[in-house]
Amino acid sequence: MTKAYSRTLTVLFCAFLGGLLAWHIVLPDRSTSEAENRTLAQFPEFSWKTLADGSYAKGIEAYFADQFPMRDTWTGAKVRTEQMLGKREFHAVYLCEDRLIAAVPEPDHALVARNLASVKKLSERMPVLIGLIPSAADIWQEKLPSGAPSWDQQGLLEQVKAMGIKQIEFRPVLQRHRQEPVFYRTDHHWTTLGAYYGYRAVMYALGQEPLPKETFLPETASGTFYGTLYSQSGVHWLEPDTIEFWIPEDGLTVTSWRSGKPQPSMLYDRSYLERKDQYSAFLGGNQPLCVIENENAARQEKLLLVRDSYSDALAPFLAQHYQQVHLLDLRYYHDSVAKYAEEQDIDQVLVLYSIPNFITDRNLVLAGR
Amino acid sequence: MVFSSLTFLFAYLPITLLLYFITPLKARNLMLLIVSMLFYAWGEPIYIGIMVLSILIDYVHGFLVEKYRADDRKARWFVAQSVIFNLLVLGFFKYWDFLAVNLSQLLGISIPQMHIPLPLGISFFTFQTMSYTIDVYRQDAPAQRSLIAFGTFVTMFPQLIAGPIVKYKTVAEELNVRKHTMENFALGARRFTVGLAKKVLLANSIGQLWEQSLASQDAGTLTVAGGWLGLLAFGFQIYFDFSGYSDMAIGLGRIFGFQFNENFDYPYLSASVSEFWRRWHMSLTSWFREYLYIPLGGNRGGTAKSLRNLLIVWLCTGFWHGASWNFVLWGLYFAGWLILEKYVLCDFLETVPNGLRRIYTLFAVFVGWGLFAIEDLEQCMAYLAICFGGGTVWSDADGYLFRSYAILLAVLVIASTTVGKRVWESLPVRVAEIAAPILMLAGLFLCTAYLVDSSYNPFLYFRF
Repeated sequence: MTKAYSRTLTVLFCAFLGGLLAWHIVLPDRSTSEAENRTLAQFPEFSWKTLADGSYAKGIEAYFADQFPMRDTWTGAKVRTEQMLGKREFHAVYLCEDRLIAAVPEPDHALVARNLASVKKLSERMPVLIGLIPSAADIWQEKLPSGAPSWDQQGLLEQVKAMGIKQIEFRPVLQRHRQEPVFYRTDHHWTTLGAYYGYRAVMYALGQEPLPKETFLPETASGTFYGTLYSQSGVHWLEPDTIEFWIPEDGLTVTSWRSGKPQPSMLYDRSYLERKDQYSAFLGGNQPLCVIENENAARQEKLLLVRDSYSDALAPFLAQHYQQVHLLDLRYYHDSVAKYAEEQDIDQVLVLYSIPNFITDRNLVLAGR
Repeated sequence: MVFSSLTFLFAYLPITLLLYFITPLKARNLMLLIVSMLFYAWGEPIYIGIMVLSILIDYVHGFLVEKYRADDRKARWFVAQSVIFNLLVLGFFKYWDFLAVNLSQLLGISIPQMHIPLPLGISFFTFQTMSYTIDVYRQDAPAQRSLIAFGTFVTMFPQLIAGPIVKYKTVAEELNVRKHTMENFALGARRFTVGLAKKVLLANSIGQLWEQSLASQDAGTLTVAGGWLGLLAFGFQIYFDFSGYSDMAIGLGRIFGFQFNENFDYPYLSASVSEFWRRWHMSLTSWFREYLYIPLGGNRGGTAKSLRNLLIVWLCTGFWHGASWNFVLWGLYFAGWLILEKYVLCDFLETVPNGLRRIYTLFAVFVGWGLFAIEDLEQCMAYLAICFGGGTVWSDADGYLFRSYAILLAVLVIASTTVGKRVWESLPVRVAEIAAPILMLAGLFLCTAYLVDSSYNPFLYFRF
C-alpha cells in the first residue's frame, strides 16, 4: 500500500464519520417530521436511575437517529436502492408503478368472527345493513406485483353472506369502475369518486334511486395531498393526490360531539388542506359522533352509520336524501349502539367499514351490546 | 452498543479514534480500556461489575500460575480455579434458566428461573480469559504484569461482543508493543467498511426473506420451495452477519495496531462438512480443538475414545451457541456428519467430483441451519418437514418473493465465493487505488442510508 493510498482511505473514513458527527452537533434539532408525521425524539434528560437501567442510552440512540442530518434524504436513498434491486414492497406497502397499495395481512380469525357476531347481534334488534368496503389491494388486484401476497378479502364477504345479514354490495360496483381513480394513489382511503360509487351501492341496498354523477359539480380542493401510504412506505417520489369536494354545503347543518357537547361543525374543514392529513378535511376527521341534517331532504328518516373514516367521504352523499345522518365511531364512542339508536329514533343502521379496519377493529363488540 | 448503529458509527467511533490517537503511546492501553468499558456499559451498566471481577480473578490466577510453575500440582489447581470460575459465570448467566426448567421436569422438583438478561458478549469473553490462564500454564505466553494491559485484552471493544475469540497468545506481544501506522489504519478502515456493508446491506436485507418464510409457516402457507428459499436466506443472513461482524472487529483491531486471527475462510465453498468447520467460525473451532479436544486425547487412543471426544466437543459447540435443545441437536447433527465422513464416507468422497462434494456440503450445512434457526423444537421439525415434501411444492407468492430477492441472492452467491477477491487482486494497482476510495465512500453512504431507514417509524393517523 502506498503512502498516498493509505492517506486517502484514512482521511476519507475519518472525514465521513467525523463530518457527519460535526454536522449532527451543529444542526438545530427538529421537533417534528413532516414525512413521518410524528414528533421526533429530543435529547434525553439525565438521571442516575435512567442511566443505570439503560433507558438513558436508549434515549440517546433514539435522539441520535431521529435528529440525523438529512434524515429524509437517507431514507429516500434506501428505498430507491431497494427498488433498483427489484423490491416492490416497502414497509408493508406495494409500489405499483405510480401508486401505492397497502398489503392486507392475514387477520386474527377469532377477532373477525367476534366482530361478525357483534354485527349479527345488532341486526337481530333493528334494521341493519352491513357494508364492507374492499381495499385497493382487492379492487386493484391486477395492479399488484404478480404473486404479491395479500389476504383474500372476497372470502370475508362470502362469510358475511352465509351469516344472513343483509349486505351492501360495494365490491361489484367498485370492480366495475376499477379503471377509474376510485382510491387515492398515496393514501389508503377511497377518493370522492370511489365514495360516490359506494353511495350508489348503499342506495341500491336501501331500495332507492341514487342521484346521477352529473348532478354534482366536483371542486378540486387540493392538489398537494400526500396520504398515509406515502408516509408508511417511505416512497417519496410519487405525484401528490388531488382531493375533490362534490357536495355544496348550503342547506346542510353539521354538528360534532368531539368532547361530549354538541358543537357546530363543517361538511368540509378546509383548514386541514394546509396540514399533513388532508383527508381529515371531510367532516373534520376522527370524532366520536357527528350528525348531518338536511331540512329539505325528501325522506323524513334517520340513518345511523357505525363506521370508520371511509364514511367521512360517503356520508355527504347520503345527506342528500335523508333528514338526518348520524355517524358513530366506536373507536371513540364507547357506549351501546342499540341504546343510541333507540334514543335517537333511528330508522336504519348501516355498519360501514373498510375491510382492513373491520378485521382488525377491537371496539366493534360495542355494536352487539 | 452494536457496530451497526448510528450512535456507534457517528458518535462513539469518531470520538474514540480521536481520543485514542491523541493519547501518548504509553497510555493507549489505558485509553482503550476506558473506552471499551464505556462501550460495554452502554446498554446494561450493571454488568460492568462482572467484567471487572472477571478481569481481576483471571489476572491474579495468571500471576499465580506463573509463580507456582515449579510446583505443577499447584499451577494446575490455579488453572482449574480460573476455568471453573469462568464456567460458573457462563453457566449461571447463560444456562441457569435452561437447566432449571429441564432439571425441574426431570427430577420433579421446582428450581426457580431467574430471567436475567444475558450479559453482552459473555460467551466470548469467558472463553478468552480461560485461554489466558491456560496459555500461561502451557508457557505459550508469559503472564501479563500490567493489570491495565490485561484489562485491555479482556474488554477490547472491537471483539468484545461477537468475536473472533482472540486467544491470549495471539495478542500477548501486541498488548505490550504494537505499531500504529497509517497503512494499518487504512487497511483496518477498509476492512471495517467491508464488514459493515456485509452486515447492514446484505445480512439485514436477506433476513427479511427469512422472516417472510417464518410468517408463511405461521399462516400455514409455506411451500416446499418457500421453505428452502427461507433456509437459503437464513444461511446467507447468518454468514454475512457473523463474518461481517468479524471483519469489522478485525478491521478495528488493525486500526489500533492488533492483528486478530481470521474467523471465516469462504466456508460455503467447502467440499466436505469437516472442511466447512475448518473454515467457519474458525476461532471457536480452534478454541475447542486446542483447549478441549486435544486435552481429552483427540483422536489418539482408539476409535471408541475418538468418537467419545468428538461427541463431547460437538455437544459443547452446539450448547455454546445457545441454551436450548435445538442447539444441542444442531451440535450432535454435525457430530453425526463428521463421524460419517471420517469413518464411512472418507474413501468414497475422494472419488466424487469437487462440484458434487460442494453441493453435498451445502445441503448438510443448510439443513443444519434449519435446526439452528428455530429454537422451538416442534416448530423447527414442522418447518423441516415442509422442506422435505410435507406441503405444496410451489405457490405464486414464492415467485413474487423470488423476484423480489433475485438480485440480492445473486449478489450473495457471488459474495460467498472468491470471485470478488480474485477480481480485486487482478486489478492494476493504480485502478485499485482509485476504485478503493470510491467503493468505500459508496459503501459508507449506503450503510448510513440503510441504518437511518431502519429507524424510519411513521405515525399513521388511521391506526391508533
